Amino acid sequence: MAPAFAAAASSSVCGACVPAACHFEARSMVAASRFLRNRVEGKRQSAAAWPLKAGLWDSLRSGFLKDNNSTQTVEPPSEPLEVEEPVPEELVLLERALPDGSTEQIIFSSAGDVDIYDLQALCDKVGWPRRPLSKIAASLRNSYLVATLHSVIQSSGTDDEHLRSYLTEGEEKKQLIGMARATSDHAFNATIWDVLVDPSYQGQGLGKALMEKVIRTLLQRDINNITLFADNKVIDFYKNLGFEVDPQGIKGMFWYPRF
Amino acid sequence: MCKRKKKKQQWWSSAIRAAASDSSTKRSDGKEEEQKVLRLTLSDAELASRGFSVRRTAEGLDVGALNEVFARVGFPRRQEERLRRALDHSRVVWLSSSSESVPVAFARAAGDGVFNAVVWDVVVEPSCQGLGLGRAVMERLVLDLRRDGVANIVLYAEPRVVGFYRLLDFAMDPDGIRGMAYYYRKSSSTTTN
Repeated sequence: MAPAFAAAASSSVCGACVPAACHFEARSMVAASRFLRNRVEGKRQSAAAWPLKAGLWDSLRSGFLKDNNSTQTVEPPSEPLEVEEPVPEELVLLERALPDGSTEQIIFSSAGDVDIYDLQALCDKVGWPRRPLSKIAASLRNSYLVATLHSVIQSSGTDDEHLRSYLTEGEEKKQLIGMARATSDHAFNATIWDVLVDPSYQGQGLGKALMEKVIRTLLQRDINNITLFADNKVIDFYKNLGFEVDPQGIKGMFWYPRF
Repeated sequence: MCKRKKKKQQWWSSAIRAAASDSSTKRSDGKEEEQKVLRLTLSDAELASRGFSVRRTAEGLDVGALNEVFARVGFPRRQEERLRRALDHSRVVWLSSSSESVPVAFARAAGDGVFNAVVWDVVVEPSCQGLGLGRAVMERLVLDLRRDGVANIVLYAEPRVVGFYRLLDFAMDPDGIRGMAYYYRKSSSTTTN
C-alpha cells in the first residue's frame, strides 16, 4: 500500500529563527503539565461546521484527491491577504481521502493548545536541540500567539473490509504537525519564532498557510510591525510571504558578547 | 578562529547547526566571563551623583513625556493607550532626572521571558545625549534579561546606531541570520501607532 504522502527531506524546516537553546543548565526536573492552554479553550466543532477556506485551497485540495501517491505541490496563485475577513480561532485548511478510506483534515488553530510532549517530539523530528520542558511550557504561556497545525485522521466508518483502517469506526487520530509562535508587546510589535512543520508534511504549502494565518491574525489584532529572524535557507520562504530583509537598512542584531 | 567558532555554536545552535554541534562542549568559564561583560560602566551611585535615577518599572513614568522624547528623537508619537499597553507587556529600564516622572533615557524589551527578548524604543533625550545614558539603560536591560535567564536578546537597529549597539556587544547578522519585517503597512499620517 503506497503511502498517502511522501516524506520530504528531513532537513531543517522553515525555522523562522534561532530557537535559542539554554542547554547549559541542568534540565529541570519539574514536571510540566502535559496539556497547555494559554488561550481560551477552543471548542472543537464537528467537521461539518468548520468553514473550509475556499479559493486559496481549492486547487491544493483537488490536487491531492486526484493522486494520493505523491506530494505534488499545487502552488496556489498568490493572493493579497484579505485582512478584513477575520481569522477564526480554528480552521480546516484542507481535507483529503487516504488510501485506506479514512479522511485527513489539516487544522489550523490559534488557541495555543499544544501538548508539549508532542511539541518536543516534533522538534526532535526536525532536528532542533532539546530544551527543558518547563521552559518550553513557559515560553508558550508567555507568547502572544501560539498557532498550530494538526492532522486529524478519521476512519470512514465503512464496514467494507478493503477500506477498513486501523481505526475503529468514528475514531480520530490527532497529531501535531506544525507550529509557530509570536512574542509581542501587545500593542505595536510582534516577533515570530520557532516556525516548524513536520518533515512528512513539508512541501505541501502548509508552512505557508500557517504563516499566512499567523500574519493575518496579528494584523487583525492591530499589531502592525511583524518581524522575525531568518537564516539563509528560509529567507526566500519569508520573502514570498511578504517579508523583506533589512527594511530601510535596519539591521537585526543579536547580543553576542565576545569573551 | 577555532575558539570563536565554538563559541558561536554555543550561542546560536540553530536547527541546522544543532545536529552537527558538539553538545559536550563545556562552558565552565563562560559564566565568569559573562559577569565581566555584564558589569555596568556607570553604577547606579555614579548616575545618582550626576542627577539621574535608575527606574526599572513603568510605574511613575509619564507616558506623555515619553512620547515627547520619541518625537524629539524622530520616532513617531504613539497613541497613549497603546503605549501604556506596550509598557505593561515589556521589561523597562529608564532614567529620570530632576523631574521624577519624566524619562531622559529609556529602553524596553518584550519576549517570552525564557528564550527570546526583543529590545524596542531605545531613546535618550537629545539634550542628554553623549553622557553614557543610552549605554546605562541598555546595560541594565541586558543584565535584567540575562538574570531572567533569557538566552537570546535581539533588536533592530537603524544604520546610524549599529555602531552604538556593537559597542554594547550586539552583533549584526550573526551566521548570516537576517532580520526581516512584514511590509504591509496601514496608511498613516504623523501618528503612526
